[in-house]
Amino acid sequence: MNRPIDREHATGTATTPARVPAGASTAAATRAADLTARYVDAAMRTVPEAQRADLAAELRASIDDQVEARIADGEDPHSAERAVLTGLGDPDRLAAGYTDRPLYLIGPRLFLDWWRLLKLLLAIVVPAVMGAVALGGALDEDPFGAIIGSVVVTGLGVAVHLAFWTTLVFAIVERSAGKDAAPFAPWSVDKLPEQQDSGRSVAELVTSLVLLAVAAGAVIWDHARGLVVTSQTDESFLDPSLWPTWTTGLFVLLAAEALLAVTVYARRRWTTPLAAVNALLDVGLAAGVMWLYSQDRLVNPEFFASLVDEDAAEVTSIVSTVLLFVIVGSAVWDAIDAFRKARRAGPA
Amino acid sequence: MDVTERETLDGHLQELRRGTVVLACLRLLERPGYGYGLLEELAARGFETDANTLYPLLRRLEKQGQLTSEWNTDEARPRKFYRTSPQGRQLATVLTDELRAIAAAVDALPGKE
Repeated sequence: MNRPIDREHATGTATTPARVPAGASTAAATRAADLTARYVDAAMRTVPEAQRADLAAELRASIDDQVEARIADGEDPHSAERAVLTGLGDPDRLAAGYTDRPLYLIGPRLFLDWWRLLKLLLAIVVPAVMGAVALGGALDEDPFGAIIGSVVVTGLGVAVHLAFWTTLVFAIVERSAGKDAAPFAPWSVDKLPEQQDSGRSVAELVTSLVLLAVAAGAVIWDHARGLVVTSQTDESFLDPSLWPTWTTGLFVLLAAEALLAVTVYARRRWTTPLAAVNALLDVGLAAGVMWLYSQDRLVNPEFFASLVDEDAAEVTSIVSTVLLFVIVGSAVWDAIDAFRKARRAGPA
Repeated sequence: MDVTERETLDGHLQELRRGTVVLACLRLLERPGYGYGLLEELAARGFETDANTLYPLLRRLEKQGQLTSEWNTDEARPRKFYRTSPQGRQLATVLTDELRAIAAAVDALPGKE
């Protein structure tokens, strides 16, 4: 904040502001003209043409008045002018005051709309695009490093574009709408967020136990009878070499997940340690599946060979890749979701 | 008083005084006045204001119709003189009454020394 002109000077000349002899000003004004002229020019740059001449003349007169008052109090013309202009501050800021122009990109009226939309877009679009790029790269059998590279670069690019264009549109709306215009949609109590489920309901427990049982049952069924029993095939969908070591590992993981689900229900809430255990199980699952994928041991090559006549190897490879993405994607989401629920439930 | 306390106090005082400058301008400009002269008179009467706040404020009040303006070229330096309009006079009355009401309400508050 700029301090006003010295109080002593102000009170000393307050009673006779208009009676400063005109002659005293001319010499000082000529000497000081340079800086003041530059200041007035700078301030008028952003003022609409129609008001410019009038405002410039008024500002000029006000500055000269202030400089004169200081000179009359014994200050030398040069430092008087500098002091007055310094007190007025940045000319663009002064001009913004004259023309009611906002000195911010997005003001309080639109900020929350902007912030919510931006968070929503980033949370949906960036992961979707990154996932799509990764899947595309994997289906093309690009090297792992190249896939990671293109996923990161595309993700960053998309995030930057989203942020830039959203912000640009809001900045334009901020400047085009009237100063007292309402936000996009007024707030009402109906917009209060629901109290979120923190993962402790019976329904959630039953759902996770049923899903785990179905997963285990499907693996056993696949091994014993083949995933789809048709006249054409009784081959298993998963690579038969996974039985029994890898499948046993999977059953241990599934059992641990079931135990965890029961624990969460018993504690009536997710906690950060429980979420961490859940994340470990998810990492275990994802790591195992990624390892098998890299060894080409996920899907039984005979399965598609018995179903389609041509290109069975390619179909197998594509299905393996999609399966990998689905499993790893669900594992990542499950791990994140547990931490979110733990955070929502608050400290233990 | 340390620096932060000082700044907090300044912030509160500034907040409290903000609207009173408009009232003071409307009352003082019953007699026509120009930017710098008004700045000095405000300071002398205890309504200390920054030049870069007052000048845009005069423009704004004029745009709202609370003030009228006229260039005076009688003296060596032409100056733009502002004067309170009938509408501005009404506003000044309302603001003055409101300020008195606030002062009375403050007086009636408990916890006075």
